[in-house]
Amino acid sequence: MKRKMPGGWLVLLLGALYFLVPLLGTFEFSLRYRREGYSVEAYRIVLADPRFQATFGYSTILALCTIVVGVLLVVPTAYWIQLKLPKLRPLVEFVTLLPLVIPAIVLVFGYLRMYNSSSWIPLTGSERTTDLLLTCSYVALALPYMYRAVDTGLRAIDVRTLTEAAQSLGASWATILARVILPNVRVAVLSGAFLTFAIVIGEFTMASLLDRPAFGPYLQLIGANRAYEPSALAIITFAITWACMGLIQLSGRRAGGPPPVGAR
Amino acid sequence: MTGSGNRAWALAGLAVVAAVGLAVGQAAGQGNLTQLAAAAKQEGQLTVIALPRDWCGYGEVIDGFKKKYGLKVNELNPDAGSGDEIEAIKANKDNKGPQAPDVIDVGLSFGPSAKKDGLIQPYKVSTWSTIPNDAKDSEGYWYGDYYGVLAFQVNADIVKQTPQDWADLLKDNYKNGVALAGDPRASNQAIQGVYAAGLALAGGNAEKASEAGLKFFADLNKAGNFVPVIGKVASLAQGATPIIIRWDYNALADRDTLKGNPKVEVVVPKNGVVAGVYVQAISAYAPHPNAAKLWMEHLYSDEGQLAWLKGYCHPIRFQDLVKSQKVPAELLAKLPPADAYAKAVFPTLDQQNKAKDVITKQWDAVVGANVK
Amino acid sequence: MPSSVLRTTATTGLPPPSRISWAWVGVVPFFVFALMFLILPTSFLAIGAFQDAAGRLTLQNVLDLFQPTILASYAISLKVSGASAIGGALLGFFLAYAAIAGGLPQWVRPTLLTFSGVASNFAGVPLAFAFLATLGRTGLVTAFLIQAFGFNLYRAGFNLLSFWGLALTYMYFQIPLMVLIMAPAIDGLRREWREAAQNLGASAWEYWRYVALPVLWPSLLGTTLLLFANAFGAIATAYALTGSSLNIVTILLYAQIRGDVLHNQNLGYALALGMILITGLSNTAYIGLRGRAERWLR
Repeated sequence: MKRKMPGGWLVLLLGALYFLVPLLGTFEFSLRYRREGYSVEAYRIVLADPRFQATFGYSTILALCTIVVGVLLVVPTAYWIQLKLPKLRPLVEFVTLLPLVIPAIVLVFGYLRMYNSSSWIPLTGSERTTDLLLTCSYVALALPYMYRAVDTGLRAIDVRTLTEAAQSLGASWATILARVILPNVRVAVLSGAFLTFAIVIGEFTMASLLDRPAFGPYLQLIGANRAYEPSALAIITFAITWACMGLIQLSGRRAGGPPPVGAR
Repeated sequence: MTGSGNRAWALAGLAVVAAVGLAVGQAAGQGNLTQLAAAAKQEGQLTVIALPRDWCGYGEVIDGFKKKYGLKVNELNPDAGSGDEIEAIKANKDNKGPQAPDVIDVGLSFGPSAKKDGLIQPYKVSTWSTIPNDAKDSEGYWYGDYYGVLAFQVNADIVKQTPQDWADLLKDNYKNGVALAGDPRASNQAIQGVYAAGLALAGGNAEKASEAGLKFFADLNKAGNFVPVIGKVASLAQGATPIIIRWDYNALADRDTLKGNPKVEVVVPKNGVVAGVYVQAISAYAPHPNAAKLWMEHLYSDEGQLAWLKGYCHPIRFQDLVKSQKVPAELLAKLPPADAYAKAVFPTLDQQNKAKDVITKQWDAVVGANVK
Repeated sequence: MPSSVLRTTATTGLPPPSRISWAWVGVVPFFVFALMFLILPTSFLAIGAFQDAAGRLTLQNVLDLFQPTILASYAISLKVSGASAIGGALLGFFLAYAAIAGGLPQWVRPTLLTFSGVASNFAGVPLAFAFLATLGRTGLVTAFLIQAFGFNLYRAGFNLLSFWGLALTYMYFQIPLMVLIMAPAIDGLRREWREAAQNLGASAWEYWRYVALPVLWPSLLGTTLLLFANAFGAIATAYALTGSSLNIVTILLYAQIRGDVLHNQNLGYALALGMILITGLSNTAYIGLRGRAERWLR
C-alpha cells in the first residue's frame, strides 16, 4: 500500500528544520523580555489581556461561519462545473483567483460604497448585519483556496459514476451532494477549512475598516509599538490555531464516517 | 454736573458694560462648551482613525476624553497612513455607521488637498488665536496639532559609540547599522529623513537639500552602513536595525516601552534638525459632527496639549503654553534639551512638495539600494 | 448494472434545453456571490484606473504603467512569484507525498496537514521578523554557525535581504499551501494502478512518467498557478523584510493608494488592473497546458 519512499524521512526532516527553526528564532526572542535572562514575562502580559480572549473568540466563531458558508457555496459549484458545465471552468477559476490580486483594502472600500447605511442593502447599519458582511468578505478572501482544494478533491474521485449510481438508486440532488459527494471529498474540504480558518484568524484590513472586534486588529494593536510581546503573541497564536485545526480535523473525521472510496 | 463729569460717568459706564460683556462672553464661551458637550453626548460616540495608542500618547488623550465627556470612542485602523484616512472619508460618504471617521490626523500636505476635494469642514477652536499662523488654514479647514523633529534612535547595547550628527553615520563602526523608519518612496517620515540629512550636508540650503540627502544615502549604502529593512522597535531590539532615523516622539516612546531592555538613546542631530507638522481636520461627512468639534476643543485645550507633550510630541501651542508658564517642569525635563530644538527647521508646504518629488522619483536610481 | 444504466438514459430523454437550464441554476449562487462581493466592489478599481484625480476619463494611468521603474517592478514581482511558486510546488509535493504515500508512521499525516494549515497563513510582519531573528545578521542560526563552526554565513555571500532571501521567506507559506491542496490528489492515486504497473514490469520511474504524473498533472499545474497568484498579490512579508529596497508591484500599489505622500490612487488602480490582467494571462496559459494533458484522461 504505502511503499517506503527512499528519501521519506529525509524530506520530512528537512521540512521540519525549515519550518521549525524560524519559529525557534521567534520563540527565543520572545523570551528576552527581561534583561537578566530568559523569562516568560512577555507571555504573561499577553495572556492576561482580556481583549485577547474576547477577540480570539469572536474571530473563531466568524471563521467557523465562513467555513460553513464557503463549503455550501463552493462544493455544489465545483461539482456542477465538473459534471455539467466544463466549458465554464476557465471563467470560474479566473474569478476565484481574483481575491488574491485585488488588494483587500480596495475590496473593503468597495463594500463601504455599496453596502453602507444609506444604500439599498444597508449592511453596515447594525452590528449583526456588519458581521454578515464581514463573513461574506471572508468567504470571498478564502475562495481561491477553498475552490482549488475542493476541485482537486473532486478530480480524484469519479464524479460521473458516483452521480449516476446514486441517481439510479433514486437520490435527489441534495442527497447526492450531502451523502455521496461530500463524504468523498472530506479531505479536500478539510484542507479548505484549515486554510479558511487561518486566513480569518489573521485577517486585519477588513475587520479593522468595518470596525469589528476581531483578532487581526488586536494583533496589530499589540505588534505596532512593542518589541517582545508581538513575538510571544505570534507563538501563542500559532499554537492555539494549530490546536483548533486539530479539533476541526477530529470532528471532520467523526462526521465523515468510514474512509472514502479509493483514497488509500 | 460739568461736561467732564458726564464724560467720566460715560467712560465708567462703558467700562462696566465692557467688563460685564467680557464676563458674559466668557460664560457664554463656557456655556458654548457645555452646549457642545450636551449635543455630543446625544450623538453618543466619536470615530477616530489612524491613532496608535503609543503615538504622542494618544492612548491617554483618548481615555481622558472618554472619561471627561462620557462618550464612546471608536478607534479604526491604527495602522492607517494619511492616504488611508482620506480614502476612508471618501468611501464612507453615505455611510453613517461606525466605519465612517469623524476626524482625521494627517500629514501637512494632505490638509490643502483634502480641502480642495471638499472632504473636510471648517471649525475654529476656542484657542484658535494661539495657533501659529503658518500652521493653520486661514478659513479653519485644517490646523496643525503637534510636531516633532527627526532624531537617531540608537540601541545602546549594540552600538557602543552613539552618533551625534549625520556625518557620523558614515563612519566604519556603524556597518549594517542605519535604517529608515519607512519606505522613502512613500513614507513622510522617511522622506523627511533624507531631506534632513541633505539639509545638514548642504549647510542649511533648502534648495540643495534633497539632492544632497540622496547623495548621502547613496554614500551610506556604498559604505555598507545602510540596512534596507524598515526599522521598528522590534528590529531595533533584535539588532537587525540598531540605529533608526525616526520622529523623536516615537523614539522616546519606544525607549519607555523597552524599559531598558535594551538601553535606548535618543539623539537629536547637531545639524539638519527638521520638524514635521501633522494637522487635524473634521470630515465633511462626519456622522457625529458635534462629538468631532468637542474632540477638537479637547485637543486644543491646555489639558489636551499637555497630554501630547507627555507623549513626547511638541503640541502646536507649545510656545504659547511655555510663555504662560503652564508647562510643568518635570514634563520639560523628560524631553531632550530645548536647545536641540532651537535649530529646528519647519519646511514649508512648497519645500516639502519639491523634496517629495525629487526624493521619491530618484531614490531607486541614485541610492541604488535596490534588490535585483 | 447495465439495465439500470439503460433505465437512467431512457428516463433522461428530457428535451436538451431544460437540462441545460437546470445546470445553469446550479452555478447561479456562485455568480451572484461573486458579483456582489468580488466584481462589483472592484468596479470602482476598474473605472478608477481610467480616470484622473478629477474624475475625467484618461488613458494616462495606463500609459504611466510603461515607465521603466514600473515595468521593472512587474518583472521582479513575476520573478519572485515564479521562483517561490515553482520551488514551493516541488518541495511541497515531495513533502506531501512523503507524508501521505511514503510509508511514514500514521501520525505524520494529520500533524503535517494541521501544521500546514497554520503555516499557510503565517505571513507578513511575524514571518519577516521570524526570518530576521533566525537568518538575519544578528540571527540565531547565523550566530550559532559562527560560534559552533566558525562559519560566517554572510561572508560566504548569503544575504537574507535579497531576491533569494525573499523567495526563501515566501516559501514558508507556499509549501504548506501546496501540501494541503495536493493531499487529496495524492490520496486519489489508487494502489491498484501501482500494482498493475508493477505487474506489467514498469519501474518506479515509468510508473511516475506514464501513470501518476499524467493523472496529477492538472492538479499540480492548477495549484502552482494558485501559488503564483498567491505570491504575486503578497505584500506584507516583502514590505516588512526588504521594504525600501525591493521594487515589487504590490509595494508600489500600496504606496499610491495608502501612502503618506504619493497618493495618486488612479495610478494605483491601473497597477492593480495590470496585476489582474497578468493573472488572467497566466490562467489562460494554465488552461492551455492543462487541456493538452487532459487528453490523457477519460
